[in-house]
Amino acid sequence: MEGPFILLLVGLTSVGAYWVGTKRVGLSGRGLRRAVERVLECVGMMLVFLVGNLAAGMITILAVRVVTRKFVSLYLIDDEVLVILSLLQGLAFQCWRDASAP
Amino acid sequence: MSWARICRLLGLAALAVFLTSAFTPLPNLLSRWLTIPRRLEPAEAIVVLGTRLSPDWELSAASLYRARYGIALYRRGLAPLLVLTGPARGEGPAEATVRAKFARELGIPAEVILTEAGGRTTREEAVRVGALLRPRGVRKILLVTNSLAMARARGVFERAGFEVLAAPPDDLSKTSGEPGLRLGLMQQILEELIARLYYRVAGYL
Repeated sequence: MEGPFILLLVGLTSVGAYWVGTKRVGLSGRGLRRAVERVLECVGMMLVFLVGNLAAGMITILAVRVVTRKFVSLYLIDDEVLVILSLLQGLAFQCWRDASAP
Repeated sequence: MSWARICRLLGLAALAVFLTSAFTPLPNLLSRWLTIPRRLEPAEAIVVLGTRLSPDWELSAASLYRARYGIALYRRGLAPLLVLTGPARGEGPAEATVRAKFARELGIPAEVILTEAGGRTTREEAVRVGALLRPRGVRKILLVTNSLAMARARGVFERAGFEVLAAPPDDLSKTSGEPGLRLGLMQQILEELIARLYYRVAGYL
């Protein structure tokens, strides 16, 4: 029940935002396609950062185990905060690319 | 292919995985595929694997859940020994010690409880429990750990010389349909797949 309700809710607010954007703010309908593409690029970049962070974390922990002979748990990188920080990294990188574009 | 296009495809794939994980029964189906069904038969010991203590050194919900299930199996007379594992967190007591105290408080005789607090990974637990139980002639065990980790745990305990009967306390495939819970289940599935890959590469399985 929760799933369909959440989808319905987000669908309704999205339709509302589209109406406000086109009728009140004066945004072009065609620009929406480009906006969706940009969102997908940001999500993709976030994924790249997330995989990079996880891989770097695992390699670092395993290296510390080998070098120091001390146990460090791989669960150190099992934290939702890493996903959020990766998202911010991806967004920042995409914004940087946009700002640097000729 | 341009970098922007690669990112778009990755983003599309991530979004598709997110939506199917949150809004379809895919995580439930995957967990059913990855888990091993319960096989509750008489054995020579019940081994309850550790998870972690809470920051205030009390049993976490997961640790309590497993310990309680192990105690229930003992009460059903399925084995004469109850082995509780789990290392210490920081300077506090070991999870195994806290669990043993909990079991005694529930009336389990102290002489049937064994603790193993040195293993920090599933593999280390298997090796150490092996060293603890082999001298007692124990070969057939009921293994209590979460259903997703059971296949990996069973593999390392079989390598340690045990015949393993799977006794997962949970059935994660029946996780409710709330999107957040399904996403949590998908996260556990991905973590377990990475753990299995690591154990295979390291030669533990």
